[in-house]
Amino acid sequence: MAGKINKVRVPMRERPVDERIKRFVEVPFGYSEDEAIMEASRCLQCPKPFCIEGCPVDINIPGFIKKIVEHKFDEAFFILKKDDAMPAATGRVCPQESQCEAKCVVGKVGDAINIGKLEAFAADWARKNGVKDTFEIVDKPQKIAIIGSGPSAISCAVDLRKMGYNITVFEALHKAGGVLQYGIPEFRLPRDLVDYELKYLEDLGVDLQLNVIIGLHRSFQEIKSEYDAVFLGTGAGAPRFMGIPGEELTGVYSANEFLIRVNLMKSYLFPEYDTPIKVGKHVAVIGSGNVAMDSARSSLRLGAKVSIIYRRTKSESPARAEELHHALDEGIEFMELVNPVRIHEKLNHVHGLEVIKMKLGEPDKSGRPRPIPIEGSEFILEDVDMVIEALGTLPNRLFLDRAPEINRNKWGILQVDENMKTNLDGVYAGGDAISGGATVIRALGEGRIAAKAIDEYLKK
Amino acid sequence: MAHEIIHNESLNYQDYLVKIRAPEVVKRIKPGQFVVMLLHEKGERIPMSVRRTEGDAVVMYIRKVGKTTSTLIDKPVGDTIQHVIGPQGTPLKIEKYGTVVVATDSVCGHAWSYSAAKALKDAGNFVIDIQSFADKEETYPEWALNKDACNEHHLTTKDGSVGEKGHFIDLIKDWLKNGKKIDFILAGGELIKLKRLERVTKKFDVPNWVEAHQLMIDATGMCGVCRVFVDGEMKLTCIDGPFFDAHKLDFDSMINRYSTYANEEKVSLQQYKEQRGE
Repeated sequence: MAGKINKVRVPMRERPVDERIKRFVEVPFGYSEDEAIMEASRCLQCPKPFCIEGCPVDINIPGFIKKIVEHKFDEAFFILKKDDAMPAATGRVCPQESQCEAKCVVGKVGDAINIGKLEAFAADWARKNGVKDTFEIVDKPQKIAIIGSGPSAISCAVDLRKMGYNITVFEALHKAGGVLQYGIPEFRLPRDLVDYELKYLEDLGVDLQLNVIIGLHRSFQEIKSEYDAVFLGTGAGAPRFMGIPGEELTGVYSANEFLIRVNLMKSYLFPEYDTPIKVGKHVAVIGSGNVAMDSARSSLRLGAKVSIIYRRTKSESPARAEELHHALDEGIEFMELVNPVRIHEKLNHVHGLEVIKMKLGEPDKSGRPRPIPIEGSEFILEDVDMVIEALGTLPNRLFLDRAPEINRNKWGILQVDENMKTNLDGVYAGGDAISGGATVIRALGEGRIAAKAIDEYLKK
Repeated sequence: MAHEIIHNESLNYQDYLVKIRAPEVVKRIKPGQFVVMLLHEKGERIPMSVRRTEGDAVVMYIRKVGKTTSTLIDKPVGDTIQHVIGPQGTPLKIEKYGTVVVATDSVCGHAWSYSAAKALKDAGNFVIDIQSFADKEETYPEWALNKDACNEHHLTTKDGSVGEKGHFIDLIKDWLKNGKKIDFILAGGELIKLKRLERVTKKFDVPNWVEAHQLMIDATGMCGVCRVFVDGEMKLTCIDGPFFDAHKLDFDSMINRYSTYANEEKVSLQQYKEQRGE
């Protein structure tokens, strides 16, 4: 590659802090065509592209970037779409800095190519210009049930429908999209993107049945016998609590509850929307993953002072770099090396959070240093009047309890082989149901692998 | 997909009998289970007890108390609501206990007690049903009581203006004091009264289950807002409940959590009334 390496990223224009902290609108404005071409031109088009190795679904990254340079945005979109069912979403929510961008050669000497934003650009361009991939569906006789309508389910449904199978998607809630709908706030993932993908499902002829809980309303066994194959994209929707004293008080929320109110029920628009929400004066968010950042930034937008309480340090935070950076920019306090031990009360409402100081020890199983409590170092954050626990989630036992024949581990995480097949013939699974909580891109990839395996299974 | 309201009639000055078509729910619902309703796109998901089914409709007793219930009650017959989801929750364990008392004292209890009493009676129990009201004005018309669901029916009012004077707690306490053999008590209604009842039934060592009512959003086990503590263990009212062993249930935290959004509910109702020019 001739020429000098341009080490500096085309900056992403963002909504100013004072403007965005009052609203739930998206923070980055996205690249303009010129900016996208300029950023894409920094790509070295490596003959052996390491970035692809960093992508869980092996997107042809240099390929789509080259098309952006050539001003062929539609072709860039088609390349993305080949491996990724929802590039508009993954461009926004993938942890690129630890995946594709971590492997970028330019990143060794300067800023890595902004692959995520280029991906979002191409997908947004296609949506705005009504560009869709074309294909012909030749109907097959077999019927497949897909349980859940989150990322893994959508990806599996799209692929199988394109192969010609009859697809029924069962969603427990009144809106489809899974975590894209109830979990990720609109300032990170505008809902028109999600609606667009769901519309795409409908256009393909997928039968989407809302408000149906498999296990409760219709048995898994009934579904299994009615359909030729089943994909379980049941997610990890159950909240986890710390189990410390005071969790029964008012003012204590699981991040799930808080985000379901804000996102699914749009309670930030209360009383225009009927579901209420309230935040305290000082909200303590426990945890430091993406869900913690989402909870913290949503609380801030509802008018609270917010502190993130994390038992390790910022460097161990599992959140996307951009989310952590946005949270800090917006004025959220990050308290490192502290862990809650007790929630205090006044009139049965949260009134103070007692924490203990931590130090970092030897690495644990996750490879991160193990946090160790420092005995006798407890102190109280006196003015905390609301606590949001963002400690990760578990698969929902509502489904699991009623399908005991599917193998799972002791946390309820479904066990699958490399083709996403469970121990039952014709039953496959993917997404958070098999990971307990991972990324959208991984879920999309698993949905796709399962679709391929289901196709092979049904061809036999 | 919308659900048609086929009947809407007042039972007293605040409670209404409403029938809504929900064929998928009717096919599967068992005594003790409930539905979640969402009236429209901007609505809230609210849990609602089911009294019984009739054809392809669920029959409910609903108190006009907040914005959502007011909006629903103000709808004429023939109008529709967007979602009726269910059945949710764990069905009541219907067994042969012997003599069973089913006691309720407000709409949220009367709303489910009919099908529970009937199922218990059909299972061979001798079912004594007590329905308590504040006064004559609050008392439902005779046809709307649980008389045909039980073996013995008692109507009480606090002021004695109709039926026996007192509350179901008074009746149960007297019976137990006088040595009446009661094998199982199932109660629902005002949480504070259920807590008081539990003190009595504990003293006399009578098995006592109650309907926990708690805030809910998704009612699928996702949000945890409906958590209650049973024997110190966190349970979710939406999927583990709504019925729990009163002797193990932490009433105080349940009562406290139930009122979390009392102020917001007032705001919502006020706004609704203003919009209607009330």
